[in-house]
Amino acid sequence: MTDLKNKKILIVDDEPDLRQMIENFLRKEGYFRIYLAGNCAEAIELCHSVKPDIAILDVMLPDEDGFSLLGRIRQFSIMPVLFLSARGEDEDRLIGLGLGADDYVVKPFLPRELTLRLTAILKRVYAPARRESLPIFDLINCTIDLESATVYKNGKEQPLTAKEHALLLKLYESKNRIITSDALCQAIWGDDAYGYENTLMVHIRRIREKIEANPSQPQSLLTVRGLGYKLIVKG
Amino acid sequence: MSSTLRILRGFAGATILISILLLFINFIVGFMITVPQGSLSSAGLVKTVANKLEGSNGAYSLDTQAEKLLKHNHLWAMLINNTGQVSWSYALPAEIPKTYSLTEVAKFSRSFLMDYPVFVWEHPDGLVVIGYPKDSYGKYYLSYPSDFIASIPFILVGLLIGNILLALLFSMLLGGRLIAPLRSLVNGIHALAHEQTVHIKPKGILSELAESLNHASDILKAKNEALKTRDEARFNWIAGISHDIRTPLSMVLGYASDLEENPNLSQEQRKQAAIIRQQGVKLRELVKDLNLVSMLEYEMQPLVNKPMRLAPIVRQVASDFLNNGLDEKYNIQLDIGDEAITVNGDEKLLTRALTNLVQNSITHNPQGCEIHIQIPQGNTDQSLCSIIVFDNGQGIPQDQLSNLMELPYSDKRKHHRSNGHGLGIPIVTRIVKAHGGQLELFSDIEEGLTAIIYLPKNIGTT
Repeated sequence: MTDLKNKKILIVDDEPDLRQMIENFLRKEGYFRIYLAGNCAEAIELCHSVKPDIAILDVMLPDEDGFSLLGRIRQFSIMPVLFLSARGEDEDRLIGLGLGADDYVVKPFLPRELTLRLTAILKRVYAPARRESLPIFDLINCTIDLESATVYKNGKEQPLTAKEHALLLKLYESKNRIITSDALCQAIWGDDAYGYENTLMVHIRRIREKIEANPSQPQSLLTVRGLGYKLIVKG
Repeated sequence: MSSTLRILRGFAGATILISILLLFINFIVGFMITVPQGSLSSAGLVKTVANKLEGSNGAYSLDTQAEKLLKHNHLWAMLINNTGQVSWSYALPAEIPKTYSLTEVAKFSRSFLMDYPVFVWEHPDGLVVIGYPKDSYGKYYLSYPSDFIASIPFILVGLLIGNILLALLFSMLLGGRLIAPLRSLVNGIHALAHEQTVHIKPKGILSELAESLNHASDILKAKNEALKTRDEARFNWIAGISHDIRTPLSMVLGYASDLEENPNLSQEQRKQAAIIRQQGVKLRELVKDLNLVSMLEYEMQPLVNKPMRLAPIVRQVASDFLNNGLDEKYNIQLDIGDEAITVNGDEKLLTRALTNLVQNSITHNPQGCEIHIQIPQGNTDQSLCSIIVFDNGQGIPQDQLSNLMELPYSDKRKHHRSNGHGLGIPIVTRIVKAHGGQLELFSDIEEGLTAIIYLPKNIGTT
């Protein structure tokens, strides 16, 4: 992970104070090779001279807009780009991502939002080789290892079917929160998932048989009547 | 098209009415002309004279009144007895013979006696003849077969019908000619009503009208363009302001949250920094809402429409509120009557509208309340579906309901909002309107607030 902090970051924004602030936050996060530009010309020059690993671009710049700057950068570099926009219209967002931007942050933003997204892009682009392993987590009555698709309950192992595995993964992603049955159906059966509610209930019942002490009185995989389900994860 | 047809029909009707009226007037006037004015008819006159001629065997006397009549009309008269002799006469011209054979009587009784138009009437002692001055009368005798006379009423009726048909034909032809230029005008007016540009070539009797119409279209176009420019200017102004707020606000939020996490500061100072950050976040939401409402207001918001069911977004909104730690004094109830109802809509915006309605109920009922979200099974209007959000909270006075839908600080909004920034319901109104639907609010003090979103159903995919 430490090598990510070595990455060279270019910040292009016409507001010097804002540039300064972003630099401060990034330095605090541990990044130290930070380059600042106030307009497109400076940015292009820096791109050539220091060859940054990632760029944070403002959409509104004094000489050109950020989208055309990205176009020019793309002629010689495939580095990831994160847009910073004060416009915030969805259309801008589409243009930005359509041009091959990696993410888009709307001003005003909290510093954490920006650093998290920046780190996520860096991880994705520069440390992709290692696949994230799937989680292992404890429920009240059992332990679930999604990596091996196994449930450990009372010293016994039970395999999970593909659908059960997908459901548990989705439930785990919003652990301790309600996830609607629609969202679950969509995750398992795709966009046109209307009419799968009964099938979903069947799968939920089978999961409960594997993970609950008493499947008819679930403690981990709760039904939220009329809405969906909630997976209670310990810790 | 239908309006020109209506005009033509009215025109033909009027023509027929006028024709019938004219026919009647002709009959009446004709009748008045054929009845002789002033004096008696020739037949009447000769009858009078015959009746008033009294006496017998050569000694006759005419009533003075009848005599006056003869004199006044410059007539002469005679009585021919059964032997063909003139037995009495009055002002008889010298050239008139005194005796007549049967042939002669038959001849003159049908026509003229020595160029004098004469009329005859029978008398107990023979035949009374009255002579008019030469060239004062024409005498024609007509004779027809009797079945022709009998068919006269039918012929008259036939003639009448024929006339009406002919009148109809002429009126259609004439009306059609008149309507041809009218049709382009009518089409122009229809186009104008649909805000299309109109240009009609001015010709014929209605050219002035066509020019006025073209002018009206030009004015309308110019006004629309001016309005559009102004809307764009306003939209850009709001977008500009919100843009200009975003960058400084980024720094406020940034440094406030930085201070909030700074371990070198006292607990109190970090709390204050947290307040700055929280207020900054509020300001950020306000700027976002302002931008959204302005985009919806000036129709700059791109809708990403696709067929979507309503039930999932209702569940999603309810779940989001519950997941984000909804206070226990609020209770959200769902009542989904029809799972399958589908609309063609922008999922993000409709979710936003529903969220705003629920948030509105929460914000305005700090003491807590029950919030129901319903999707009713059917609707009176089959092409519409609805989502109902209602609470049992304190409600608002009925007369302030329409206010709620207007933007805060606009002319139309008389009362100022009590809490919240007042953009919540106006955003809902505009989102629903952008979907071709309608928002209705019902409330009164202590009666809760009911909001009904009507949306056009997505027909075809159900």
